[in-house]
Amino acid sequence: MQNRRNFIKQGMIGGGLLAAGGFPFSAFAATGATRITILHTNDVHSRLDPFPMDGSKFQGMGGVAARAELIRQIRTEEEHVLLLDAGDIFQGTPYFNLYKGEPEIKAMSMMEYDAATMGNHDFDAGVEGFAKQLPHASFPILVANYDFRDTELADKTQPYKIFTKGGIKIGIFGLGIQLLGLVPQDAYGKTKFLDPLPIAIATSDMLKNKKKCDMVICLSHLGYEYKSDKISDCVLAANTEHIDLIIGGHTHTFLDKPTLIKNKAGKEVIINQVGWAGIRLGKLDFVFDSKKSAKLSNAQTVILRKQTIG
Amino acid sequence: MQSRFYALLLLLALSFTACKTQQHFIDSYQTSFTPIDSTRPHDSSMDKMLEPYRVKMHEAMDQVIGYSEVPMSKAQPECTLGNFMADAQLAIARKTDPATQVSIMNYGGIRIPYVSPGAISKGKIYEMMPFDNKLTIVEVPGKVMRQLCDLMAAWGGWPVSGITFRIKDKKAVDIMVDGKPLNDQLIYITAMSDYIANGGDNCAFLADCKKHFLNIFVRDMLIEYVTDLQARGRKLNPQLEKRISYAE
Repeated sequence: MQNRRNFIKQGMIGGGLLAAGGFPFSAFAATGATRITILHTNDVHSRLDPFPMDGSKFQGMGGVAARAELIRQIRTEEEHVLLLDAGDIFQGTPYFNLYKGEPEIKAMSMMEYDAATMGNHDFDAGVEGFAKQLPHASFPILVANYDFRDTELADKTQPYKIFTKGGIKIGIFGLGIQLLGLVPQDAYGKTKFLDPLPIAIATSDMLKNKKKCDMVICLSHLGYEYKSDKISDCVLAANTEHIDLIIGGHTHTFLDKPTLIKNKAGKEVIINQVGWAGIRLGKLDFVFDSKKSAKLSNAQTVILRKQTIG
Repeated sequence: MQSRFYALLLLLALSFTACKTQQHFIDSYQTSFTPIDSTRPHDSSMDKMLEPYRVKMHEAMDQVIGYSEVPMSKAQPECTLGNFMADAQLAIARKTDPATQVSIMNYGGIRIPYVSPGAISKGKIYEMMPFDNKLTIVEVPGKVMRQLCDLMAAWGGWPVSGITFRIKDKKAVDIMVDGKPLNDQLIYITAMSDYIANGGDNCAFLADCKKHFLNIFVRDMLIEYVTDLQARGRKLNPQLEKRISYAE
């Protein structure tokens, strides 16, 4: 009930959108539907403290202490929360130069991140440098298309993980960007980059059809979109058929609302990215209703709300 | 009795199908984001965890090393922040090799969007250029330089010093070095980071160029440049000069 009460409160803050009938929340409590909240960040780049108050565009924004408090508060309001990061945890402030990622990973563990993928800058202290910080991580690193077999990261990452929240099975897998030409070879060493698209197709198919996941999420550091036909979140969405949501990164794209792209099966894939530096926390609330038919899964309602209160 | 048995069977059968991985479907969703701004309350345990790291970091990074007369920002095809960095790289490279003519930086290597006028701390330079990239002097043949300029043009313009060009149809035109048109027969001594020299940002075509890897971080080179200026009582004052611009 806590859930629903808060939901109504938020709806009121949202300013009449619910009253307009956009969201079937009257059905919500009655049918025993389950609400899953996905919180996400990307490209935080060692921004542990807010940007300094120096007149710059992002002054005062970001910082883990404020983010942690917001997450803590959301967890008291929402029953089923998954907290995800799409990579480039490292590099960007002197914290990283001095401590090589230790406080970044410690902070994410304190915030109880559920999973993260690796960005290109997570190689900046070398594969061994990233491996060295993993004992501080209470969450798994998900990446399906880097082969770390011959490196210090062997067996320290996993391609995917299935989370069960409120009876809903959520399969999450990670994808990393091409390293050659982007990351110095000294840094990635013997890591083998594997073509993301076939891996994404196979992994999402396996999660949806074999593991019977109700939802498949891709944590991607491929980048939102490119002028060329280079693989990106938009290309990925259009060329797969079992991914429901792509939480993206790398291009530091501020999406005020998610991008919807029709996949190969004609179903809409949601792509979201929240810029960089921990300036925003993204929140997606999904309502699952086991009593509705499969056809209705396309009838999605998007309500956009810039949440500044609560 | 029998009918009751069948009813039980039916019930069993029903419960079996119900248990058989009942697929759940996304019915609707709602999205939002919360800006993390300075008005938001802090989690004190997080501040407590960070405090020892923060104190040591400030000790190391808060030292003021110089000043800027103007705000510096990151933009394409040319920007003040990039001009400062490329000029600094040229000046420091010339300390080792006075014949250095050109300085090139990758745009993605500038890691903050803006630096306010006034005092510049060591930490600010770390944020600007956090990578442990090292300064490298590369002998770039004219033809390869043309290729490099085309790549910079395709990327939308990178910070440069000692060289100018215009972008037309994503290609570099009117390439000038030291005020003279680029000569395919000449070799240009060019300062850049080892990241670019080793093929980063799709610069693999630099593979065959002769390189001289210096043992100085690009970041420390920027600190040295600002410190040198300060010692001479001068401030940074980068301007936009149409080093790279779009052709009409």
